[in-house]
Amino acid sequence: MELQLGLALPSNPTSKAFDLNYYGFEANNKEVDHVIGPCYTSSYEDINDIINIDNNINKNNNKRSFGQAFENSTRDRVVPRTLPLLLWNNNQPNEEDDPKDLENHSLFAANKNVGDGDGVVGWPPIKSWRKRLGHDNQVVRAWNNNQMVENGYVCGGRRASNSMYVKVKMEGVVIARKVDLSQHHSFETLTDTLMDMFRKWSEACEKNSNNYKLIYQDREGDWLFAQDVPWRTFIRSVQRLKLLKSSG
Amino acid sequence: MMNYFPDEVLEHVFDFVTSHRDRNAVSLVCKLWYRVERFSRQRVFIGNCYAISPERLIDRFPGVKALTLKGKPHFADFNLVPQDWGGYVQPWIEALARSRIGLEELRLKRMVVSDESLDVLSRSFTNFKSLVLVSCEGFTTDGLEAIAANCRFLRELDLQENEIEEKKNLWLGCFPDSCTSLVSLNFACLKEINLVALERLVARNPNLKSLKLNRAVPLEALQRILMRAPQLVDLGTGSFVLDRDSDDSETYRKLRGTILKCRSIRNLSGFLEVAPRCLPAIYPICLNLTYLNLSYAAGIHGSELIKLIRLCGKLQRLWILDYIGDKGLEIVASTCKDLQELRVFPSDPFGAGHAAVTETGLVAISSGCPKLNSLLYFCQQMTNAALIAVAKNCPNFIRFRLCILDPTKPDPVTMQPLDEGFGAIVQSSKRLRRLSLSGLLTDRVFLYIGMYAEQLEMLSIAFAGESDKGMLYVLNGCKKLRKLEIRDSPFGDMALLRDVGKYETMRSLWMSSCDVTLGGCKTLAKQMPRLNVEIINENDQMEFAHEDSQKVEKMYLYRTLVGPRKDAPEFVWTLV
Repeated sequence: MELQLGLALPSNPTSKAFDLNYYGFEANNKEVDHVIGPCYTSSYEDINDIINIDNNINKNNNKRSFGQAFENSTRDRVVPRTLPLLLWNNNQPNEEDDPKDLENHSLFAANKNVGDGDGVVGWPPIKSWRKRLGHDNQVVRAWNNNQMVENGYVCGGRRASNSMYVKVKMEGVVIARKVDLSQHHSFETLTDTLMDMFRKWSEACEKNSNNYKLIYQDREGDWLFAQDVPWRTFIRSVQRLKLLKSSG
Repeated sequence: MMNYFPDEVLEHVFDFVTSHRDRNAVSLVCKLWYRVERFSRQRVFIGNCYAISPERLIDRFPGVKALTLKGKPHFADFNLVPQDWGGYVQPWIEALARSRIGLEELRLKRMVVSDESLDVLSRSFTNFKSLVLVSCEGFTTDGLEAIAANCRFLRELDLQENEIEEKKNLWLGCFPDSCTSLVSLNFACLKEINLVALERLVARNPNLKSLKLNRAVPLEALQRILMRAPQLVDLGTGSFVLDRDSDDSETYRKLRGTILKCRSIRNLSGFLEVAPRCLPAIYPICLNLTYLNLSYAAGIHGSELIKLIRLCGKLQRLWILDYIGDKGLEIVASTCKDLQELRVFPSDPFGAGHAAVTETGLVAISSGCPKLNSLLYFCQQMTNAALIAVAKNCPNFIRFRLCILDPTKPDPVTMQPLDEGFGAIVQSSKRLRRLSLSGLLTDRVFLYIGMYAEQLEMLSIAFAGESDKGMLYVLNGCKKLRKLEIRDSPFGDMALLRDVGKYETMRSLWMSSCDVTLGGCKTLAKQMPRLNVEIINENDQMEFAHEDSQKVEKMYLYRTLVGPRKDAPEFVWTLV
């Protein structure tokens, strides 16, 4: 079946492996009429109106934005009538989005329900338990990779001898820092090191460590007071650190 | 003719009828059969704990010995259902305990289980043998202590992916010395364990066939445990790394020797932490494996993974991470000719898309493994051509779940939606029961599903379709549909309300971030009193905007014989 697209097609779609006619899925007028009834040309032009894609950006590269791809592909093809695309109102991407984002995410609105870290809540559909283990494993793998270069063995349990950098942010300071937790075995040494670190970079804040409370983000994404847990618990689940100004 | 047989004969005949559906069918034949069936039924499956009450269960099936209960909707697995939504097992256990039911087995999925429930359970049923908890929450190790201490004839304790608060590390030691009946023990979801108690427990339970350890069990302990339990059929390793300080070669050598004796192992999983250098220890048993789960083993990839797979010629079920890559899947295809189930999980779900697996790997698998009937595949991209090829090579799918990480991505070669590809799958796999869609999809794919997916029972839709027509095609066409879950798709009141009777033939319908309105849901609830139409409403604004035209964020409806539930939290409204 010839595809009537204006795109530069990389492959010839007539080999046996992907014969689109094999199952009789002829996207031709006759079959569609028979199944559905009267057909209308699709109103895909509406997508462009809603998304407001800047066509100029796409002129010089081969990628098509979602709207353009559909506009071209449906010119020679009849599709069943669709209801007006106004139903998508709530799901519109922010019109100020860089059109390049749309190429990557199609109509996948980036401003919806941002939950787990980088994406939309519940996508991709992986159980939270597995996600958490996956995250842990990524950290372990980083350590593994460090060790493997050295002597071919991995020290799963000996975390003290591997470096363990986590991000630290101090409230009121723009630039975050990183600290190697493997060098510490108690909150005292850790807090001292952190205060030293930030002293160099910010004179505006009070440097007395009593004025700051250390909180950390654990594996489940919860923020907890570091002083509330034993060091052992802390070191095993800490992902990130923050220094908050104490109110009292 | 059957009416002239005494009840005992009927009962004996019914003993051979074991599946829930068959027994349900038997009970509908006539009043006599209904009566005989209900008194002889021992195993009851309740797919939605809010569809019926414990009292009615006990009333109808006084002889129940094994009960399965499911609570929260499936999308709760992906954080779409807020905490405290419901699904409490407490009223069930209390009612069963009060009625002196001889409960022996309890299997719970996505339910809230408290320590008190476990305590009551452990003390109320003298012959209690098997507890399986899958994706449950709400209990601590205190509850496990009660089970261990009080269930004298416990055979199975299987904890899969539960959220368990770990207080003290003592529960395993609560199994009395007289406990020698264990057949299956799985505590992989815990972070800690008492190693000494574990080894002693394994030593005195010679019938142990299934053992799944957690990360806190080091390699040395695994070796000692396997020494005691060479009869294991099902093993989940804990930590599979060698501590730098210990005498590595000795431990490794011992482990390898011990594993050689474990000729019965057919299912291997775990590897929650793994050092590739330790893997050769399991090579000797690879050729016996029928199930291999490496989906948590982020430490194995590339050539080590391939080396391992090449030895597993008898594999029927394989769960792996996408580190395997398309090339690795080609190796699987040429090695595992008996493969029936494949699950490929993403190693980096939010990643920038470094080469994981694509359509190429899937086509290779379908080519080499014609017995494939169950697929869960997370990938970067998919093409219609590939899906059509897969459909042709593998016409036996029962479960087909494809997850393209960018959920609205079209066929990257043709820029078309994936309607044709999924259409080919449903047309070719006539026994398809479960389908999950992703990628760019128009209403057309639903037309195909409605036309061809005659056995479809569960359908998961996300970011798909263009209009109400899509949903209507499915509701009209899929006669056996039981569970429909939809998110972020443009289906609204017109589709919802077209055939309200349909929902009584189904277990449940979930719609979130779609276009159904409060008014539409209210209309449905009014017309169908035997449905619970629940709106989950997490925003405060809804309090002030009870407008019927307001779109509903999350709706979950299910058929029920017992009316609105009384334990709904304040953010769940049951419409009447």
